[in-house]
Amino acid sequence: MTYLKRLPRFEYLGPQSLAEVCGMIAGTSRDEVMLLAGGTDAILQMRRRERVPRRVIGLKGVAELDFVREQADGGLAIGAMTTLRTLLASPVVGRRYDLLRETAAQIGGNELRNVATVGGNIAGALPCADMSPALMTLGARIRLSSGRGDRWLPLEEFFPEFGRTVAADDEVLAEISLPPPASGGAGTYLKFHDRHSMDMTVVGVSAYVVRDERSRTFGDLRLAYANGAPTVFRAKRAEAVLRGRALTEEGLEEAAETACAESSPRTSWRANGEYRLELIRALTKSAIRQAWEKASSRQEARP
Amino acid sequence: MNDLIPVSLRVNGVRYDIAIRPWRTLLEVLRETLGMTGTKRSCGEGQCGTCTVLIDGKAVNSCLYLAVEAQGKEISTIEGPPEGDPALEQIQRSFVAKGAVQCGFCTPGMVVATRSLLSEIAEPSEDEIREALVGHLCRCTGYVQIVEAIQDAASQLAHKGGD
Ligand SMILES: Cc1cc2nc3c(=O)[nH]c(=O)nc-3n(C[C@H](O)[C@H](O)[C@H](O)COP(=O)(O)OP(=O)(O)OC[C@H]3O[C@@H](n4cnc5c(N)ncnc54)[C@H](O)[C@@H]3O)c2cc1C
Ligand code: FES
Ligand code: FES
Repeated sequence: MTYLKRLPRFEYLGPQSLAEVCGMIAGTSRDEVMLLAGGTDAILQMRRRERVPRRVIGLKGVAELDFVREQADGGLAIGAMTTLRTLLASPVVGRRYDLLRETAAQIGGNELRNVATVGGNIAGALPCADMSPALMTLGARIRLSSGRGDRWLPLEEFFPEFGRTVAADDEVLAEISLPPPASGGAGTYLKFHDRHSMDMTVVGVSAYVVRDERSRTFGDLRLAYANGAPTVFRAKRAEAVLRGRALTEEGLEEAAETACAESSPRTSWRANGEYRLELIRALTKSAIRQAWEKASSRQEARP
Repeated sequence: MNDLIPVSLRVNGVRYDIAIRPWRTLLEVLRETLGMTGTKRSCGEGQCGTCTVLIDGKAVNSCLYLAVEAQGKEISTIEGPPEGDPALEQIQRSFVAKGAVQCGFCTPGMVVATRSLLSEIAEPSEDEIREALVGHLCRCTGYVQIVEAIQDAASQLAHKGGD
């Protein structure tokens, strides 16, 4: 019985700065060293003995990675150690990145959101992670730091395969950066799960619509999925189906069908692949429609 | 590997200088090292809420928190501070009065989470109460009495002028 097990033995380090973290992981391998952010998944991985690190590096003391700030270009910068609670409470997130607030509110309960971090949600590379699809549709870029310096890459290039990221063993996810919200843009995250937000997502869909006000068509559409495939991914062919078109039932149907063709959901005890495809079809249509309606009502509400 | 490391934990306002192993969770240290068995363990994986304690006033699952990482923070448990905590005591009286305690195993976690909820929202709506408790399971009561108990505690505390 896993739940009765104690954690495997490890040595613990509690660095206070990003530079210290980079120094500590330089030249180490992921088998020996594990980063622990909120720990809400890392601790369970150790309890199940999926990871048995010799050394654990706790990031809770690295205050410089805990921030949410507006950038000069009107975009947003989020530190990897920002908790989901901090994200939810952030005024700028509520005002300008409603999709993020909506997504974070659907993850776990207070006890989880008070410690789980945005960085841990992404870097864990779980196909069911909810923040990753929302951030992808917002055009997120991420900053990886190491003793060798920093590099930036689009979040959509972060997950090469199930459970893995392209980060090297000596790299830490430090920051997530979002472009300014598009004018006429609005997003919705819909997920299906058993027990309110307390259970892992069966399928999640993030839809971000940019509505062209004059032509009343989709200026842009971005779709990303949790548990639609072995990794979180963007369904770019489905996105292309609706661009330049008005909202119609047939268009939605076609986009949802294309998204299903791009997906490869797995079968597990939670749900079989066919059922997940049904969810992808249904949630894709609802998410696009809801995002479109949000975008429209905002344009109409403007003076 | 160096095993025991010295840590200083503040629990319910009292400082404890102890030596612990770094792989121990806060839940294990509270129960086994400090003998504070009010905080319960059930699932050990963040699902049930019986292990809830407050860290700097915020509810967390102590089964998913390393004790070493709780250093320098204010930990509050169901045992409460030695000088007493009127709000914590009122919540417990309301739980008893409203029949929200049956086997009682979920109660410490529920009470501690309520303590945090009421310090943020003095008179929460039923929706706010249910939202605050999504991470807590009770196999006995069916939750209705728990919601009533929290509403009762909120109104009793509001009439006394809060804490
Ligand atoms: C009861 C329960 C319910 C849950 N519900 C949901 C849910 O609804 N949706 C959801 O998406 N998730 C859910 N989760 C999973 C998990 O809690 C979240 O994904 C959480 O955001 C992980 O963040 P963390 O800070 O706790 O990460 P940790 O557990 O600390 O880390 C996760 C992984 O990422 C690595 N890592 C962490 N930070 C970094 C970094 N900065 N750089 C590089 N690597 C890093 C760690 O080494 C580890 O492998 C749930 C978990 C529980 C226990
Ligand atoms: S024992 Fe911690 S949540 Fe169940
Ligand atoms: S009273 Fe028995 S579990 Fe809640």
